[in-house]
Amino acid sequence: MRALRAFLHNPVAVAGAVLLGAVVLMALVAPLVFPGDPLGLAGRPLQWPGANPRFWLGTDPSGRDIAAQLFHGARISLLIGGTATVIAVVIGIVFGALAGFYGGVVDTVLMRVTEAFQTLPNFLLLLVLVAVFGSDLMTVVIAIGVVAWPPVARLTRAEFLTLRERDYVAAGRMQGLSDAHLIFREVLPNALPPVIVYASVVMAVAILLESALAFLQLSDPNVPSWGNLIGLGRTVLRSEWYVSAIPGVAILLAILGVSLVGQGLNDALNPRLASR
Amino acid sequence: MKLLALAARRLAASLPALLLILIGLFLLLQLAPGDTVDALMAQMGGGDAAIAADLRRFYGLDLSVTARLGAYLWRLVTLDLGFSAIYGKPVASVILERLPATLLLMMSALFFAFSFGMALGVVAARRVNQWPDTLISTLGLIFYATPSFWFGLMAIVVFSVYLQWLPAGGFGDVAMGYTGWAAIWDTATYLVLPVLTLALIFLAIALRIMRASMLEVQGMDFVRTARAKGLSETRIVARHVLRNALLPMVTLIGLQAGTMLGGSVVVESVFTLPGLGRLAYESVVQRDLNTLLGIVFVSALLVIAVNFVVDLLYARLDPRIAG
Amino acid sequence: MSGPTRREVFLMTGAAMVPASAVAQETPRRGGILTVHFATEQRILNPSLQASTGVYIVGGKIQEPLVDIDGAGNPTPVLAESWESTPDGRAITFKLRQGVTWHDGRPFTSADVQFTAMEMWKKILNYGTALQQFLTAVDTPDAHTAIFRYERPMPLGLLLRALPDLGYVSPKHIYEGTDIRQNPANTAPIGTGPFKFLQYERGQHIIAERNPNYWRNGMPYLDRVVWRVVTDRAAAAAQMEAGQILFSPYSSLALADLTRLSRDPRFAVTTRGNEGNARTNTIEFNFRRPELADIRVRKAIAHAINIPFFIENFLGTYAKPGTGPIPSVSTDYYTPGSPQYGFDRALANRLLDEAGHRRGAGGVRFSLRLSPAPWGEDISLFATFIQQSLGEVGIRVEIVRLDAAGFLRTVYNDHNFDLASGWHQYRNDPAVSTTVWYRSGSPQGAPWTNQFGWTDAAIDRVIDDAATEVDPAKRRALYGEFVTRVQNELPVWMPIEQIFLSVFNRRMRNAGNTPRWASSSWHDTWLAP
Repeated sequence: MRALRAFLHNPVAVAGAVLLGAVVLMALVAPLVFPGDPLGLAGRPLQWPGANPRFWLGTDPSGRDIAAQLFHGARISLLIGGTATVIAVVIGIVFGALAGFYGGVVDTVLMRVTEAFQTLPNFLLLLVLVAVFGSDLMTVVIAIGVVAWPPVARLTRAEFLTLRERDYVAAGRMQGLSDAHLIFREVLPNALPPVIVYASVVMAVAILLESALAFLQLSDPNVPSWGNLIGLGRTVLRSEWYVSAIPGVAILLAILGVSLVGQGLNDALNPRLASR
Repeated sequence: MKLLALAARRLAASLPALLLILIGLFLLLQLAPGDTVDALMAQMGGGDAAIAADLRRFYGLDLSVTARLGAYLWRLVTLDLGFSAIYGKPVASVILERLPATLLLMMSALFFAFSFGMALGVVAARRVNQWPDTLISTLGLIFYATPSFWFGLMAIVVFSVYLQWLPAGGFGDVAMGYTGWAAIWDTATYLVLPVLTLALIFLAIALRIMRASMLEVQGMDFVRTARAKGLSETRIVARHVLRNALLPMVTLIGLQAGTMLGGSVVVESVFTLPGLGRLAYESVVQRDLNTLLGIVFVSALLVIAVNFVVDLLYARLDPRIAG
Repeated sequence: MSGPTRREVFLMTGAAMVPASAVAQETPRRGGILTVHFATEQRILNPSLQASTGVYIVGGKIQEPLVDIDGAGNPTPVLAESWESTPDGRAITFKLRQGVTWHDGRPFTSADVQFTAMEMWKKILNYGTALQQFLTAVDTPDAHTAIFRYERPMPLGLLLRALPDLGYVSPKHIYEGTDIRQNPANTAPIGTGPFKFLQYERGQHIIAERNPNYWRNGMPYLDRVVWRVVTDRAAAAAQMEAGQILFSPYSSLALADLTRLSRDPRFAVTTRGNEGNARTNTIEFNFRRPELADIRVRKAIAHAINIPFFIENFLGTYAKPGTGPIPSVSTDYYTPGSPQYGFDRALANRLLDEAGHRRGAGGVRFSLRLSPAPWGEDISLFATFIQQSLGEVGIRVEIVRLDAAGFLRTVYNDHNFDLASGWHQYRNDPAVSTTVWYRSGSPQGAPWTNQFGWTDAAIDRVIDDAATEVDPAKRRALYGEFVTRVQNELPVWMPIEQIFLSVFNRRMRNAGNTPRWASSSWHDTWLAP
């Protein structure tokens, strides 16, 4: 509760919440405001914003309504950001918790794998995964989750390394509690706050990674994603730059919202640093 | 000598990870639809099945996966990166051709990001909670949230299409045959936008870290002592605060070296730079396994080298870790 | 029964032409560097080993074919001075040009032709292997005579129309006894052409310089040709505007940029010089899907797509509705009057109802996967348009995006697709690369062949007969029969016809004056100040 109050008194956090809320609202009202298929042919391609009152943000090179794609795209970005973050955080926590809790050989092996993932530029791995497994939405989301987990693992491991030395863990061991109980019931809840804060970074990274993939025309073409729109606009950049500009602003604001909320959470959960 | 031993130890420690990556990628790409001969056939504009079979035999693609993996690793032991089917020459020379552009891009971006990031961070910290701080911190947040490829595209629209100040892409003008300073100036104009684009997010991160560590160090005893001794503010910042704030910055470089190479894939695509990132992307699309693995190998060595240097710097900056 | 003339085709495609008459009266000026847009990097540059526009644009200036095509579309001598065929079409004799030397100073002889034909065209060159399948030997009675001997009759017209693309000669003394595929000359070609290879800097540029010993006296006019590797279309357009690139061949720029440049008086955006390079957009049906094996469904799909609307709004003046596999630029074999499928949504719905595909939940009858080829902006625009159009008649389309290797493997080897869309390239004679789209029995994995699971014995017979028919009139009649039948059965629909577009800086002279100019040797091209 105290954390929530701190969060709400922080102007940065509130600004982030408002931005993120706006994106969520767009996603929610999309089917009401634009009931048709956002990828359907709406009219002549490449109409400038305002040129036709029916399309207040214009049409893209395939004759689709940009505003409709923007609203429906909010759903896709949230879906991608949310799901990929959950995947990355779950993998990261499992790796980090096991490595940090057991140490020794387990730690060495798991950390070597983590290191391997970190040495390989994650976008490169993402390219390979998409080339191999195809570019439908679920594959892309899973692939993003798979490349984004190493920092979470490191963070969790660091927390576990300090927490496992605490008295209550030793006490639990004396009582004969199982390792699983100790890891998930005793240590993890205490290790979680910094991980939750970091999840906002993962979410921002996930949205950025998808849009970069889409920009290279490697994401799912059957969904109205913001990145797809930027990629489509690239060929007409010199004359109809608005096709790329508009969804870019949407991505920028969404990520700004996510990272401000993350910063707010950080301040609220780590009061020691909040005074900065 | 001690340094060399340290470097060798570091490399040995990284070997398992490197091996894991190479084998993993090799096996992963076996699952991809189509192989490099399919990509070649597409490039050729078609041909009959006999040609395809012939090419597969030629590139050794008719052998089993384990045989090819074994052969690849064995060649790697002798530091032979193999032959690129798509480029028709040794992978090592393909990579060497593309390395300079990427290195130049990355170094310039790092230099730009950290020098400006530090300067802005210092200014913000000195004027904490006043308007310069608010402005700089907000800018930092926006930079952090901007998709780099989008920033690149918009920069092209503004600086190349409308203002026509800078070229939209490429890496120097060969037909003009510049030499000496003219050539350097020419290349520099091509690099401005890509460097800015790649540096943006690192600038934001550097700025934030610099500001935070400045604020943290400023309150510490040794800085108070320095002030009490009557040292000028500039001197304090330069000698004491900066030195301590550099530690997390240096750590950051080590952490971001890999990310930066990933980022250069996109930036090189936006600005059509003939660099490693773009080569990596093309070799995935063309299923040019040898080239892709070669790039991963070289970039991993690069990341390991950067981290090694970072460790050395760290020891230099923080005498406590020197042992 | 005559097709449109070439001139009419120009007008139809709305091409802005370089005023040829004004050009002809100027005196050619020597010197200058022609900078050319090189959009797709190539593994090799030797056109005796690889038949593709990406190779011709470079290798075609350095090496020369036996025969080329002149401004009127007729075969014209290059390394061969004359040719004749025996009446049975089993021996074709070429008299070769004398006094021609390779760039390294060695003389060009019939041994080079023999070696190239037997070792490269017949064994390695794509499309060449099919064309020369029945070539048994090349006899060389003297240094300047080459007699091609065929097991089955070879129509002289077919050979002469194929040789400009599939008849480039390589030096025997460089290749003999080596591993041809790995010969260093593949990326540093040695030829007899007007330009000598100088340098290939991967990812950056290729440079060739004037051949001082070229057999056409006083030519070439240009000092150098520099190909700049620019893979990004927008960047290439910018470089054209900045004057850094003077010529961009083969529709390598974005459609939006082509439209923009066509309004700029400094440039000519035209199909001129590419008439020999027509292509059609395809919709390929996989007959392994029971729905698509039904002719009513295929016809319904064709009727559901408004081709004129698509062309008008997305491709502009650079395309026109296609009528079948043989494009209208083919003056010899174009057959008007074959069955056509105009836009008629009601008819499409009715056909689908008749075929028993009632609309289910959400108005969807059934779903199809569409794999567009990953080259060409028009293909991806067309794929989206197909998706949108078929959605209107209750067929849900999911676009499956694949890269080049994945597309070839999935469609032509694994046959794991429902609809595919790409280009069919017409190469001057239907027997070169068109009839393979329809002939059954194509081995699995051969790209751009019949991989649809469609077999028709009558079509197979017509195709085989036409390929060995030496009488031109009978050949033409056979291809007329062919077109009518495949348009009725519709195993592949080719509803859009396009000719590659070139963008010329108007300083260029003697540019685009032959039907395959972009691929040709540019010996007479020059630059006005």
